[in-house]
Amino acid sequence: MRIGDFKETYAADEAVFRTPTVRFWLWALAAALLVFPLLAGEYLIYMANITAVAVVGAVGLNLLTGCTGLISLGHAGFMGVGAYTSAILITKFGVPFILTLPISGLAAALCGVIVGAPSLRMKGLYLCIATLAAQVILEFTFVHWESLTHGIRGLNVPAPTLFGLSLASGPAFYYVIMIVAAISVTASRNLFRTRVGRAFIAIRDRDISAQLMGINLFQYKLYAFALSSFFAGMAGCLMVNLLKVVTPEQYPLHLSIQYLAMIIVGGLGSILGSILGAIFMTIVPELLRSALGLFQGLDPQIMSYLFPLQTVIFGALIVGFLVFEPHGLAEMWRRAKAYFRLWPFEY
Amino acid sequence: MKASRYWRVGVALVLALGLSAGAASAQEKIVVGAGQPITGRFAFAGKHINDGLADSLALANEKGGIAGKKIEYIFEDTGYDTNRAVASFKKLMAQHKPVIMYGESTGVGKAMAPEINNTYKVLYGSTSFSEELADRKANPYMIVSGPTYAQQFGILLKYIAANPKKKGVAPKVAFFYSDTEFGRDPIPHAREMAKKLGVEVVAEEVTQVGAVDVTSQLLDMKRKAPDYCIFQGYVVAPIADVIKGARDYGMDTTFMGTFWTMDKQLLDALGPDGEGYMGVNPYAYWWDEDVPEIKAIRDFNKRNHPEITYRPNSYMQGWFTGMIFVKAMRMCAEKKLPITGENLKNMVPQIKDWDTNGLTGKVSIKDTNSTNVGRVYKADVKKGIFVPASDWIYLD
Repeated sequence: MRIGDFKETYAADEAVFRTPTVRFWLWALAAALLVFPLLAGEYLIYMANITAVAVVGAVGLNLLTGCTGLISLGHAGFMGVGAYTSAILITKFGVPFILTLPISGLAAALCGVIVGAPSLRMKGLYLCIATLAAQVILEFTFVHWESLTHGIRGLNVPAPTLFGLSLASGPAFYYVIMIVAAISVTASRNLFRTRVGRAFIAIRDRDISAQLMGINLFQYKLYAFALSSFFAGMAGCLMVNLLKVVTPEQYPLHLSIQYLAMIIVGGLGSILGSILGAIFMTIVPELLRSALGLFQGLDPQIMSYLFPLQTVIFGALIVGFLVFEPHGLAEMWRRAKAYFRLWPFEY
Repeated sequence: MKASRYWRVGVALVLALGLSAGAASAQEKIVVGAGQPITGRFAFAGKHINDGLADSLALANEKGGIAGKKIEYIFEDTGYDTNRAVASFKKLMAQHKPVIMYGESTGVGKAMAPEINNTYKVLYGSTSFSEELADRKANPYMIVSGPTYAQQFGILLKYIAANPKKKGVAPKVAFFYSDTEFGRDPIPHAREMAKKLGVEVVAEEVTQVGAVDVTSQLLDMKRKAPDYCIFQGYVVAPIADVIKGARDYGMDTTFMGTFWTMDKQLLDALGPDGEGYMGVNPYAYWWDEDVPEIKAIRDFNKRNHPEITYRPNSYMQGWFTGMIFVKAMRMCAEKKLPITGENLKNMVPQIKDWDTNGLTGKVSIKDTNSTNVGRVYKADVKKGIFVPASDWIYLD
């Protein structure tokens, strides 16, 4: 139970993390993430790594779709741009991994701006189709620009290093990914305390009134595309250095849709929602698989029938969540917190 | 004092017993792990490959295992998704420490290659027939359980060169492939091979996978009139459309396929249009009567899965993969070497003139970790099966 929480200054009122309780749990989370690789094995670290990459990507897409109201089906394509930029810079020009991280983001952002250009005149489904075209064009480019991308065979990258230290092992790269994820989340959270972020929300809620308020729609829509793709590009860069290979088949339309599913399940327009959605979409299939794997000891044959079941359960879970909580996991989390805020003295 | 000493002795005893029991149970079995694409896009084959591999290893266990040790087969579903497959690989390695791993797709093989070479050092088989994975210099731990796609093209081209439609005239061939890794993988090699064998490549048609419009490709083919046309990178669609269309245009091209398009499923889809369809398959078929290994497979299924009346060729791929794994393990055991990934890897290039009881031709592993042998089959539309059109064809 939390009482006596008074805001006495404007700074206190505007703080991101407003109460000592929140700050305490945040530090606890940071500490847990810090010691996690010391306790967990390769597998759990890998899962944490891909989850954190998904968080970076989902936060990026949420800026565009959740906060600015522009639907994009090209997110995987932008991740691919980041991944290829990093792989090409590392293999052909020997650029250190850490430098390719922002450059990948910028390259993807540039693509995002180009793709976002028609967004001034298009909304909703129409924009959706335009970004779908971008996804298809990017996939085509990855396959056919063979001199640069090595076509379908893709590019193999060496294990990343940072200031001479090898990041080949899962735990070492874990810290890099976690730091990038933390910075991404913090940056996007803070974005909504600036003019840019508020302009995004104004555009989402009603673009005509946003324009009347003096927001240059075209400029801010492009900002949204650029920022969102920047995050996607960084996620792609992290992914290629994690897997040490990039092929066109890693960034299909299916992945774009998966990212959309993440932010919808998590909660549109909520940073926490993006995080929870990314975790849900990455971890739950694994949990389902492990749970069904427990039956393997009973009869190996039964597994050929049980494994397909996990897709059905996962689909049912997503539909279930959306039916019972259309605002996503973030809203569930908020209600759970609200319940415990005065517990056990609700009345 | 005395009590505490007893206590310590007790703990030591329990520990010693526990450790020795653990060590004993670890020695009694050899673990083979697999991340199988049982769901997802590849499920049509993944389920059967998994059944084949599991059954093949189970039969080896029935026959007494490897030098008295049982093989334990542990698999997970990977859904044909690289991220999940890599996760599953790491999990199986951490939990069960297998000496052999099996995985889905070329992409996963490539993603895992650096770690298999440097960290895990396990023998690795996969659903892929990619040339890249069979390259022993780059991927010494990986094996392809059949001829690579490039070698399958080689076998077909060799057959074409030996069976020209008009005596004394260089046969004309077209390649019809999908715009995917799977489709494009063997093409550069196939072009070279054709040149070497004196086969003229008159057309290359590229399409997307699935139900796509193939009219423009058909018109182009009609103009170039190839004697043979080889498909690569498809499973069913759009092969039926191409063949039906070609018949409508009055072309007398012979259509051919590689492993994935040599299943009964395609013949059923083609119906009467399947007349004359040919292709290369690295393995014998379920319905082959005079093949000892096929008899063994049918017996095993009758005993263990009485409800089964047919197994597709992806099952044979899984089964043969199991045979290679067992062969490498037996070679280790014969040489009194411990069965480790490292030793298993060293056995693979030493496989020479291996008689697989007719499931494949005689297997000799040469410069690549693949089998170099396959057979050309043709459709028997009345019976709805494939029958041999050649003997086993070996590549140099």
